[in-house]
Amino acid sequence: MGFTRIENKRMNEHYYRMEHSSGLTVIVYPKKGFRSAYACIGTKFGSIYSQFDFNGKRVSVPDGTAHYLEHKLFESEDGDAFSKYAKTGASANAYTSFDMTCYLFSCTDRFDESLKILIDLVQSPYFTEETVAKEQGIISQEIKMYDDSPDWRVMMNLFKGMYHNHPINIDIAGSVETIADITPGVLYECYNSYYNLHNMVLTVVGGVDPQEVLDIVDRNIKPSAPVDTRIILPDEPYGVVTDYTEQALPVAVPQFEFGFKEDSTGKYATNRELIATSILMNAFVGESSPLYRRLQDEKLINSSFGYEYLEGLGYRAVILSGESRDPKAAAEIISEAVRDLHRNGLDREAFENARRVVYGKQSAGFDYKQSIASELINCEFTGRKIFDSCDAIADITLEEVNGRLAKQLDADNSCLSVVKGIDGIAE
Amino acid sequence: MSEFIRKKICEGVAFSSVTDDRFKIGRQSATLIVPLSRENAAANALLSCVLSRSCREYPDFTALSRKLDSLYGAALYPSVRKAGENQMITIAASGLEDRYALDGESVSQELAELLCSIIFDPDMTDGRFREENVEQERRQLIETIDAELGDKRQYATKRCIELMCRDELYSVSRYGSREQVEALTNDELFRAWENLKNNAQTEITMFGSTSPDKAYEGFRARFENMPRKPVGNYIKQITPDEVKHYTETEELAQSKLVMGFRCLGTNDGKEKLENALMSAVLGGTPTSKLFLNVREKQSLCYYCVSNVQSAKGIMMIDSGVETENIEKTEKAVLEQLSLLQNGDITGEELGNAKLALKNSLLSSLDSLAALQSYYTAGILTDSLMTPAEAAEYVGSITAERITELAQKVQLDTVFSLVGN
Repeated sequence: MGFTRIENKRMNEHYYRMEHSSGLTVIVYPKKGFRSAYACIGTKFGSIYSQFDFNGKRVSVPDGTAHYLEHKLFESEDGDAFSKYAKTGASANAYTSFDMTCYLFSCTDRFDESLKILIDLVQSPYFTEETVAKEQGIISQEIKMYDDSPDWRVMMNLFKGMYHNHPINIDIAGSVETIADITPGVLYECYNSYYNLHNMVLTVVGGVDPQEVLDIVDRNIKPSAPVDTRIILPDEPYGVVTDYTEQALPVAVPQFEFGFKEDSTGKYATNRELIATSILMNAFVGESSPLYRRLQDEKLINSSFGYEYLEGLGYRAVILSGESRDPKAAAEIISEAVRDLHRNGLDREAFENARRVVYGKQSAGFDYKQSIASELINCEFTGRKIFDSCDAIADITLEEVNGRLAKQLDADNSCLSVVKGIDGIAE
Repeated sequence: MSEFIRKKICEGVAFSSVTDDRFKIGRQSATLIVPLSRENAAANALLSCVLSRSCREYPDFTALSRKLDSLYGAALYPSVRKAGENQMITIAASGLEDRYALDGESVSQELAELLCSIIFDPDMTDGRFREENVEQERRQLIETIDAELGDKRQYATKRCIELMCRDELYSVSRYGSREQVEALTNDELFRAWENLKNNAQTEITMFGSTSPDKAYEGFRARFENMPRKPVGNYIKQITPDEVKHYTETEELAQSKLVMGFRCLGTNDGKEKLENALMSAVLGGTPTSKLFLNVREKQSLCYYCVSNVQSAKGIMMIDSGVETENIEKTEKAVLEQLSLLQNGDITGEELGNAKLALKNSLLSSLDSLAALQSYYTAGILTDSLMTPAEAAEYVGSITAERITELAQKVQLDTVFSLVGN
């Protein structure tokens, strides 16, 4: 079976997708006139996959295992991947999020060699007592760096304040204590359960030809038989754990994240739901909104203020964040505005205005290889399609956005997380 | 993609453009450069925020934001940075390419006009900026300055530079001091505006698919009778007499170690690349000496990175470590530097670093944002090459040259931010 060409005329964009006989989904997104290429292999295995059934057997792994595995996969029996990439000049990296792990490189030359390295990297696990132990010092320092990061702490504290049981309330990298329990056996178990080609996607974006990519995949992939692996997520109630949480760190301006937890529905959000939320939030808190103006006039926010939509398997929340001298006062005004919004709904002018903004932002994403690649992988893992968002922007209605609002921004189900200064340092 | 074209508008003012139709978002910018000054840095920084907030035609934040929204979420970004001992104030604008506009409007021309208005037609009456705009931006700039204290890696590096260069202009923060921002008057802002408008070395850029001719004419009409002298480019080469150690303590899980070195200071395009390659070999890539030895072999840290600022002649190496490992890490870093100074550089190390640097230069050709920042950072570079020429030049640099440059690297100041 060959590639299917998928295009969007409105955006003048297209890509090629196929389910390779090995089990791997392969997507090639050529960018005309590009000299560089960006390739990424993602596996649907992140920090929330801490409990799962593998071929009928229940497995629980220490917090931080997915991230640890990401570090260790760079090493194989014949050396480490960074040294291999160094010979092709590719710039390589990897990251672990709550719901996936991605391995990537970007290059301007010798693409075929780099892609082979990437494919080998995810297919040649090599974990020994010694190599696993060596990583503890490095990852401990990574964890401690995040422990001191106000941005990270304020976010993790919010997740702990919103979620009772869902593992999104646990740090992606785990803790210095939990990673001490990670053994080669644990890593192999996760590897065998989730680094299966049927659970993985390769995307290549840039100056490449689909056939060229396919040839390299054909030559280097080791097919894998499908496995039966299922994530086990605990039940999560609708309500938040607490409406307020704080931590003191040496910062001079307090930071806040104000989250509105919503019903996760047990499913991933659709493209239309995401676009409706973007339009709603741009209208509600964008720089031209009355709420932004009021918060600014009252000296409660600065240009760091913004929103994001947190969304994945078993969790959904709108989050407003920023720096503020008085996060509680900011949150109070936001809550009041949320109640008004529910009473009055979004008006047509604000809707049309926000729709233009979202269209511009959406277009911008197609200029960046990284953002295309990560969005494609995200779409594969969530059942969305990258161009459906473009179509949704074109034909979404105000009624649809207001319908979405009815299920979001519950002012009675919010949590404010604050990182404030340590007494004597902050004002 | 067209060549990079740079046209002189008048003495000290240039307009550069790249015509490229591969993207959906075009980028424009105005960069004003003045010598760094203890007295004026704060005023220039605050001014850039006040100017980007509104203009005569859109006289408050909400009005200007609405205008930007109507241009499909176009954005204005003021930023301030140091380039050697100069202060660079950039107001960048990005917006949808005209052919993607739904109602046939020319977003790029409107943005070019807006950028011009922001610089020349601010929202002011009788020589005074609107007070509420000044107060709003003053508060926000103070918060930005304060927020820098929260990012410990950034703070530690900034502090090390302040201590190392305490008797040099380079110790002036890009935003000036908090106290200065607090004390600025409307008159001082007005004078800073007049000064920047009339005296700053200025570079306008327009990157995207729209022909730059109309925007060029717009800026030319404003600037042609306002010649000014380009800023000086002199670098004082400093040799440290002894190594200074400073320590501060804070409630942190991880300690930060920052080592400040003196190195060859230069504005020459080729020498800057040579310095960059030397730094890449030492600590700029995942196969550099610092990464392989301090992180991988000794497991002392998650990051240990070198960063060279040729226009000032300094190189900073920073890492996050356990408190009890601070000295050990310092020693490990110096050992690796000393190896490099003694000519211990394999063909593989040099080759790897060259490929990494070339990759990063050539990658910038596929992003207007990266290209714009490459050319903006290079405004003060003598005989600046295109990214492709630069990549080619990198290939020709010899191991001997790297050793020679490493030998110019001398430790000056060590700053430790110790967690307790």
